[in-house]
Amino acid sequence: MKTKPFIVAGVVVTLILAGFVSLFASTSPDGLESVLLTGCDTADGEITGGDCVLEAAGEHEIGGVFADYGMSFLDNEILGASLAGILGVLLTLAVATGFFRLLARGKRPEPSGNETA
Amino acid sequence: MSDLALHIPTDVIDGPTSLAFAAIAVLAVGACVVMARRNLDERLVPLAGLATAFVFAAQMLNFPVAAGVSGHLLGGALAAALLGPWLGALCVTVVIVIQALLFADGAVTALGLNVANMAIIAAFTAYGVLALALKVLPRTRWGLGVAVFAAAIVSVVAASAGFVLQFWLGGEAVGQSFGAMAAAILGTHVLIGIGEAAITAGAVTAVAVARPDLVHALRGAPLAQARARVLKETA
Repeated sequence: MKTKPFIVAGVVVTLILAGFVSLFASTSPDGLESVLLTGCDTADGEITGGDCVLEAAGEHEIGGVFADYGMSFLDNEILGASLAGILGVLLTLAVATGFFRLLARGKRPEPSGNETA
Repeated sequence: MSDLALHIPTDVIDGPTSLAFAAIAVLAVGACVVMARRNLDERLVPLAGLATAFVFAAQMLNFPVAAGVSGHLLGGALAAALLGPWLGALCVTVVIVIQALLFADGAVTALGLNVANMAIIAAFTAYGVLALALKVLPRTRWGLGVAVFAAAIVSVVAASAGFVLQFWLGGEAVGQSFGAMAAAILGTHVLIGIGEAAITAGAVTAVAVARPDLVHALRGAPLAQARARVLKETA
């Protein structure tokens, strides 16, 4: 497969994962979180009682309109989650590609036959 | 707290420890920038960008690992297998920074902690295990798959051990003893590591079949040739 179709196919798959498949992801706390929640009672992702490490956890320093992969200004949560995923992928792609292009600036592919291929 | 966050949230690890790991992470990422430049050429840039975006998407996909517990791909093993440990660690770092700054996922003050665990520790342990395993396993699709599988499990457990160390240094056990917590963290991450391993092995072997030259861990030895050689040997 040529590089360009490979990258395009990869980006399409990634957008589908973040914009659609992510809607079906498990909403249970992840491994780290669930252990840090041991000792607390929770309901709908909120700590309702007991003693655990996460009780001491503060609010996120920034928060923001895209906090927790949503769009707080949209009434539709599902649409917000999907769009936040798509936005995140496009932004990550842009930032990473820009950053790596900067790092690679002035470097050409090694000539073939070079052992560092 | 309004919503539960993934990654290490605010105020779980104390200031001095967070600061120390921020310094470690800055040094490590700086070393990655220098070293990644050696193998990075313009041809690799789109793949590195795609791998980074893929890790971002995959981190959104929590899969169940036990009753009421989920896990998600860390991506360090995937990025390291495709791009090498230096560039791979940079991919995951970009993801973690975007998550913390824009999506309130992982505290800003915990950036150093999260980068140290999920980018640095995960990418380098994965690459170490992968390089060792590829020395003994055949360079076939299966050999590569098994090597990547092992590398991914070890990388996730190692990353979680990084958190255990950070918590031992700068956390306060509540609701359970430190030992019980450490055992629970490591145990849960073995399960998450199995999920990570299955996804990573599938993704890397798929890339290796389509474009073996894009799998850094193969170092320019295409699988097709290896497979043909094995077939000839067994014939």
